[in-house]
Amino acid sequence: MATSVLELLDVRKSFTMPGGEQVNILDIGSFRLGADEHCALEGRSGSGKSTLLNVISGIMRPDAGRVIVDGIDIARLDEARRDRVRADKLGLVFQQFNLLPGFTALENVLVAMTFGSGRPDRDRAVRLLDAVGLGHRLDHRPAELSVGQQQRVAVARALANRPRAVLADEPTASIDPAHQQQVIDLLRNTCTEQGVALLVVTHAADVAGQFPRRVRIEDFNRAATVHHP
Amino acid sequence: MTLLGIAWRNIRQRLLTSLLTALSLALGVALVVATLVTGGIVKQAFESGSGLGYNMIVGAKGSPLQLVLNSVYFVSRPIENISWDFYQQFLPAAERPDGVDGTFAASTKTAVPICMGDYYRGFRVIGTNTAYFDRLTVGDGRPFRFAAGRNFRADEFFGGVLGATVAANLGLKVGDPFAPTHGADDGKVHDPFMVSGILARTDTPVDRGVFVNMEGFYLQDGHAKPVEEHEGGGETAAVPEAADGSRDDAPHGPTPLPFAQREVTSLLLDTASLPGLPAELTAMGLRTVINEGRDGQAALPIAEIRQLLDLFVRPLELLLLLVTTLVVIVSAIGILVSMVGSSLERSRDVAIMRALGARRTHVLFVVLIEAVLLAVGGGLAGWMLGHLLVGAIAPLITTNAGVSASVLSAAPGAELLLVPFLIILAILAALLPALAAYRTDVAKWLQGG
Repeated sequence: MATSVLELLDVRKSFTMPGGEQVNILDIGSFRLGADEHCALEGRSGSGKSTLLNVISGIMRPDAGRVIVDGIDIARLDEARRDRVRADKLGLVFQQFNLLPGFTALENVLVAMTFGSGRPDRDRAVRLLDAVGLGHRLDHRPAELSVGQQQRVAVARALANRPRAVLADEPTASIDPAHQQQVIDLLRNTCTEQGVALLVVTHAADVAGQFPRRVRIEDFNRAATVHHP
Repeated sequence: MTLLGIAWRNIRQRLLTSLLTALSLALGVALVVATLVTGGIVKQAFESGSGLGYNMIVGAKGSPLQLVLNSVYFVSRPIENISWDFYQQFLPAAERPDGVDGTFAASTKTAVPICMGDYYRGFRVIGTNTAYFDRLTVGDGRPFRFAAGRNFRADEFFGGVLGATVAANLGLKVGDPFAPTHGADDGKVHDPFMVSGILARTDTPVDRGVFVNMEGFYLQDGHAKPVEEHEGGGETAAVPEAADGSRDDAPHGPTPLPFAQREVTSLLLDTASLPGLPAELTAMGLRTVINEGRDGQAALPIAEIRQLLDLFVRPLELLLLLVTTLVVIVSAIGILVSMVGSSLERSRDVAIMRALGARRTHVLFVVLIEAVLLAVGGGLAGWMLGHLLVGAIAPLITTNAGVSASVLSAAPGAELLLVPFLIILAILAALLPALAAYRTDVAKWLQGG
């Protein structure tokens, strides 16, 4: 495998339930994602996929282990620094797209740039939206866009700060089957063009089947195997 | 896009709520501004009564404040009259018929008599002599200026001078006749006087005065003091000298009222310095002597007005300010309510921004900036509204307080403090929703989304 853009080593994460019970969600010995690599991560509901994405993106801190993003172990960083790494090195695409409803397509991309290290670059934001076929809908708000167009804005936004990897959480789950292929193609083609690694979390086997690398979380997350037999 | 841009976008996203919040703040601020400005105008109205070329008022015994309000500001009722003989005690030999210095002549530089009791269409009529406009001043020693015409002459018994507000409001001009009424606006109509001059605006109570020659005033029905039979009407007054030194001895001219039948309401006194004594001590000594006597009382207008301001005006102003400040605070709570009300929607947006890499401090500042923008927007709108309000009631203020007011009237110090006060208030009000944004659980909201 080429150089890693993402590496997890001995990562553990548990939650304390309201009754005081400690539940292990993640217990990962090793996981790597190479630069430019496109990988589908499969798993059942409750297998820890979302927690894993939260730990990789620095939204959550693991209880133990190392989470290395582009050479930086974000598990050792404080929250503000993890936020900065997330803004600069990772692009997130959500199941519900999570666009800001009061902002136009262009502004949704510019907002992401606001929190990165560089200055908001309007020209780049326009180019990104143009690349996903929305050059003519820059000033439209999410409510004025179709579901497919919203997902395109979400992809453009994920690439706003020239990230090293895009993490997509069930990007096709809210889309009708006819458009699912378009979204996968869009993500893969755009990430290829931009030279960005892609990790897509999905529970759909047909989606996972289109990726050169396909892993099941249960295969490397010991907590998922134990907790959800 | 900057944090300011994001905050502005958020405001536009909740446009109606934002507008209503800003409007409620604007109304509160408008009330504060209007209170501050009109309070300042009221104080100016009172303070304009000083520095008019006299430092003491002599009148009948009673309330010194009433004497000052009546003689300087032409409000309140006259207490009573003082005798003509008592008035004469303040005049030098040259101005007295007997050619002897009055008892208080040495302590008096100028004594201007005024007679009150008549009205002309809502304005006070003041009978006086030519010295009112020749020797007294507008303030800071500036002499009276006439916008039209001139002062009435001493021998012009039925001449009158109008204050700027009177002339403007009643549309009178030089040469127009006007007939005062006795005691009240619906009282008996007196003989007409003629406008000889209209004063330029002074921004003092003088603007609201109708000044007539006291010789003509005395000749009106009901203005002569009743005398006992054995007094025989006393010595007949000579016709006063005209400004050019000539006498109007025309056989057909009116006969002045005898001295014995005359009274004056009060005297505006500019005290002199006795040799070897500072002016203040002379005035204090004169006041003590007059107040210990039975003929009248002496009041110092500046002291009385200061007491009035300290006792009534300032506490009232403070109370009004307190009430209006409470209105602003309630309006600021509106910001809090509006932001808490939209917190559910905001939490999702905050979670999205945090997922995009925004730090907790970023989302905290976005909420605070939103509150400050609403406060500044509402505050500016309220500030303009407040001044428009003052502008709308300006004619009423000018008519009643005798000082000019306009949309540009300002209370600079207090108004400047209003902006930082509003910003601090808005930040305090937004602190709770801002902290809620700061603590937003990103993972929970994104999964819920």
